[in-house]
Amino acid sequence: MSTFIERPKFSCALGGALTTLTGLNRVVPIVHAAGGCASSLAGTYNGAAGYRGVGYCGGSMLSTTNIAENNVVFGGEDRLYEQIENTLFALDGDLYVVVTGCQVEIIGDDARGIARGFSDRNVIGVSTPGFLGNTLKGYDAVMTAIVENVIEPSPVKDTREVNIFGVVPGHDVFYRGNLDEIERLLGLVGVKANTFFGTGNSIAKLRRYGAASLSVVLAPETGIQPARRLQELNGTPYILSELPIGPSGTAAFLRQLGAELGLDGTLVERVIASENAYFYDFFGRIVDMYSDLDWQRYAITVADSYYAHALTKFVANDLGWIPHLTAVNDLENEQQQAEYAKRFDDVTSELRPAVVFEQQAGQIIKHVRGSWGLNRNEKYYDALSPAFVIGSGIEAGLAETLNANLLTVAFPVSNRVALNRGYAGFRGGLTLTEDLLSQLVSAR
Amino acid sequence: MSTKYTQELTYGFTRQVAPPVRETRIGVCSAYCGECSQLIEDIQSGCAQLQSRKFAQSGGCQLMLAVGIVSSLTNAVIIVHSPLGCCSGFVGTSGTRKTTRATRGKRSEEFVWLHTNMDEQDVVQGGIDKLRDAVLYAEREYHPDAIIIANGCVPGIIGDDIDSLVTELDGRLSAKLVPIHCEGFKSKYVASGYDSAYHGLLRHLVEPVVKERSAIPDVDEQRGFADGYRISRTVNIFNVGSNSNGDEVELSRLISALGLTPRVLPLNATLDDLAHIGEAALNVSICATHDDYLLGHLQERFGTPYIIDTLPIGIRSTNRWLRQIAAHFGLEAEAERVIKLENDELNKALEPFRKLLSGKSVYVGGGETRILTTAAFFKDELGMRLVGVKAHNVDRFVEEIAEELHDPQLEITVAAGQPAEEVAVVKRLKPDIYCGHMGANGWISRLGVPNLPLFGMTLNYMGYTGAYELARKAAKVIKNTSFFKNVSEYVGLPLSREWLATDTRLNIKESEAV
Repeated sequence: MSTFIERPKFSCALGGALTTLTGLNRVVPIVHAAGGCASSLAGTYNGAAGYRGVGYCGGSMLSTTNIAENNVVFGGEDRLYEQIENTLFALDGDLYVVVTGCQVEIIGDDARGIARGFSDRNVIGVSTPGFLGNTLKGYDAVMTAIVENVIEPSPVKDTREVNIFGVVPGHDVFYRGNLDEIERLLGLVGVKANTFFGTGNSIAKLRRYGAASLSVVLAPETGIQPARRLQELNGTPYILSELPIGPSGTAAFLRQLGAELGLDGTLVERVIASENAYFYDFFGRIVDMYSDLDWQRYAITVADSYYAHALTKFVANDLGWIPHLTAVNDLENEQQQAEYAKRFDDVTSELRPAVVFEQQAGQIIKHVRGSWGLNRNEKYYDALSPAFVIGSGIEAGLAETLNANLLTVAFPVSNRVALNRGYAGFRGGLTLTEDLLSQLVSAR
Repeated sequence: MSTKYTQELTYGFTRQVAPPVRETRIGVCSAYCGECSQLIEDIQSGCAQLQSRKFAQSGGCQLMLAVGIVSSLTNAVIIVHSPLGCCSGFVGTSGTRKTTRATRGKRSEEFVWLHTNMDEQDVVQGGIDKLRDAVLYAEREYHPDAIIIANGCVPGIIGDDIDSLVTELDGRLSAKLVPIHCEGFKSKYVASGYDSAYHGLLRHLVEPVVKERSAIPDVDEQRGFADGYRISRTVNIFNVGSNSNGDEVELSRLISALGLTPRVLPLNATLDDLAHIGEAALNVSICATHDDYLLGHLQERFGTPYIIDTLPIGIRSTNRWLRQIAAHFGLEAEAERVIKLENDELNKALEPFRKLLSGKSVYVGGGETRILTTAAFFKDELGMRLVGVKAHNVDRFVEEIAEELHDPQLEITVAAGQPAEEVAVVKRLKPDIYCGHMGANGWISRLGVPNLPLFGMTLNYMGYTGAYELARKAAKVIKNTSFFKNVSEYVGLPLSREWLATDTRLNIKESEAV
C-alpha cells in the first residue's frame, strides 16, 4: 500500500503518459479528463524538465474534453466522441492517442472503446488515470499501447537491431541527448538502436521496430512492461541494463550488449578503446587543476533508480570522488530494493556508499546526519566536507544546509536549460564532468 | 460603500463547508467569438453564458489557482489530497519562493508540500487515513503555522469527508488546519478557485484579534485612540498571483502619496497579518476576477467598505483607481495634485515610445480585466491600433472597462486557453505586436508575431511606473524580431490547414446541460 509523499518527484500516470507522448514526433494526445489536467501536467514538464517545451502539440495546445460536473453525473462519452472527431479536423498528426484522467475512469467511461471506433483514422486509446500511480506507470501504459497498436509484428528479425525501453522523456530531463548518444555508440559497433524518442524518429519508423531482435531496458523497473508485451506479441526477448554514464559504465554496457547480440568482440573492444582515448584526451585537461585545487568531493547522490547507481558509479569509478550516500526515491518493494543495492558492488572506491531508499524529500537530511558523527564542539572534527549533492532541484535546500555544491540531474531540473545535453556514454561523461566541476568554479 | 457590480450579489457563504462555484454565484461566459458590444448584450441577456466548444483545449483547473493563493502564505505546509499529478508543477516552481519572498524583504523559507498520493485502493476505500498521516507528518516535522489541505477531483468524487478530519483534529494541532474545496471538475470557470481559497481563509484563518487589557489606567483608552486613527487611515491593497513586488511597491507609493497607509495582502502574508485583515478603513481590489468573494465577506464580518473597479494598468485606469480611493477619504484635491504631477512626468517619459509604437497594430489576450485595461493603454495612450482581444472569461465586472474602449465592433474571443482559435484569429489579423497570457505566447511566436507577456511575477505593469515599463517592453520587443522570424520558419504548428481556414465562430455551440 502506498503512503503520502513529501515533495514527490513525480507527476501522475496521466502526466507520465503526456510527457511520453510529447516526446514522440507528430503524435497528438487527446485527454479525456477535467479541463485543467492536460495543461497543468504539461506545465509540470515544461517548467521542471530543463524547460523541455511543449513538443509538437503539448501545453495549452493539448486537445481535451474538459469534462465538468454534469459529465461526472451523466457520463462523458458523447463529449469524447465529439472531441475526437473535431481533433481529427483541427490537428494534423500521424497518431492520435486518447488518454484518460481520474474523473472519467471513476465514472466508468469506455474511452478505449470509443477510440477503437476511430481506429481506421489512426486513433488509439490508453487508460492512464492519475490514481494508477506515478509518471513511470504512465510511461509503461503508453508504451505498452504503442507496442500493441503501432509496432508491426515482424517474423524476420535483424540481429543488429535493438529497441531501447525505460528512458522516460521529460522525467529523464536529458533524454534526447542520452538517446542520441546511445544511438551513436551502438552505431559504432554496427547495431541500429531504435530509441522511440531520439532525433529523426517518426510513427512510420516505430511501426518497423518489430524487426529488432532484442529489447534493452535501461531502468530497473520502468519499461519492462512494454518490453514484455513486445516479447509476447512479437517474440522479441528483453534484457535489463542501465543508462551508461562515462567510461566504466559505458564499457560495461557495450560488452553486455556485445555478448547478448553475439557481436565481434574485437570490434567492441576497439570501439571502447577509441572512445576511451577520446574521453581521456579531454579529461586530461582538468588534471592539473583537479590536483592543485583538490577537486575531490564527498558525493551525496539523490535520484530515482534510473540515475542513482549510474551517477554514483561515474563519480566514484571515473571521477574518483567519495560516494558517501546514495538515496533512491522510487523503489518501494523490499526485494527490488535489495536487488538494486547489489548494483553498488561494482563501485570501486575504497569507501562504499550507504544506499538508502527514501521517498520523503525532507528525510534525506536525517539520513545524511545519521551517517556521520555530529560535531560535539570538538576542536578536531572530521567533517563531511567538502560535499557535493548530485540530485534534483528539490535538493537545493539540502545542499544549502550541508554547505555543499549542487548539480541537478534527476527530475525536477528547473535551474538550468537542457537542449541536446546528455550524460550517456563516454561523451556524456565529459559533459557531466564539465557540469560538476563548473559548479566548483562558478563563483569566480 | 460597495461597488455597482456587486450590488446584486450576496455573500454570507462562510457557514457552508464549500463555496458555490462562480457559474451559479456570478454567471460567466467562457466561450464566445464576436463583437465586443454584442457580447456585453448577450451577457446581460444570459445567452453568452450558455455556450461551449466543439473542439476544446486545456484551460486550467481551479485547484491550481486556489493553491496558488494559499501556498504563498508564510510558514504554511500544503497537502494536496489527490493522486500525484495535481499540483505536480510545484516541482518546477517551488524554487521561485525564495525570490518571491526575498524581493518583498521576507524571511527566506523552503516551500514544503505533501501529496496524499491516492492510488486505486484509495479510490475504493477512501483516502482519509493517508491524509491524517500526512497532516500529522507535517505538524511533527515542520511545525507550520498552517496546514492547508487542497481537495482534488478524486476525493471529491468518491466523497472523502475532509471536513470531518478537520473537526477530529481540531484543538490537537499547533498548526491551523484549513480545508480548501477546489475540486477541478466542479467549475469550468477556474477563477472559482480564488473563491475556494478565500473561503478556507475566511473560515479558518481570519479571526478578529482578541485585544489585551492593560492593568494600567487609561492605557487601553489611549491605545484605542491610536489604533482607531491608524485603522482610519489604512488601506488594504489585495494582491494577486500575477503581480510583481514592483507592482505592490508602486501601488503602495500612490496610496502613501495621498497620506494614507497602504498594506498589501493576502499573498505572502503571515497568519498574524491575516488576523489583522479587518483593521483597515478601506479594502481595494486590483483585479475583480480575484477577490470580490473575499472583499464581500470582509465587509460583512468587519464592516470594511471596499472598491472593486478597474485594474490600475495604464494612465487612465490608474488615475481612476486612485480617484476612487481618494474620494472615499475626501482627498480629491490631493489626488488631483498627485495625478497631475505623475501624468505630466509620465507623458513626457512616454514620448520616445509613442514615436516607436504609434500606429502599430496590437492584439491582447488573457484575463478579462487585465487585457481590457492593457488594451486601453496601448490604444488610447500609446496611439496603437487595437485589432482584437481575447478574454479567458467575461463576467459583469468588465462592462464599464469594455465601454470605455469606445470600440463596439472590436473583435473579441472568450476562451480560457484555446490557442487553436487564438492562433487562427491572430494569423488572420496579423498584428505587429501581441501581448498575451502565459501558455499562449509560444504559439504566437511560432506564427512569427513579435510578442510580450501580459504579466510577470518579476516585471512591473501596474501604476504609472508600470505603464512606463509596459511601453518600454513593447518598444524593446520590436528592436529585434529575429527570434520570431526564425521560429516561424523552422518550428511548426500542429494546426491543420482546414482548421486555419475555418471561421472560429463555427467552433462555438450551445452548451449541454449545466
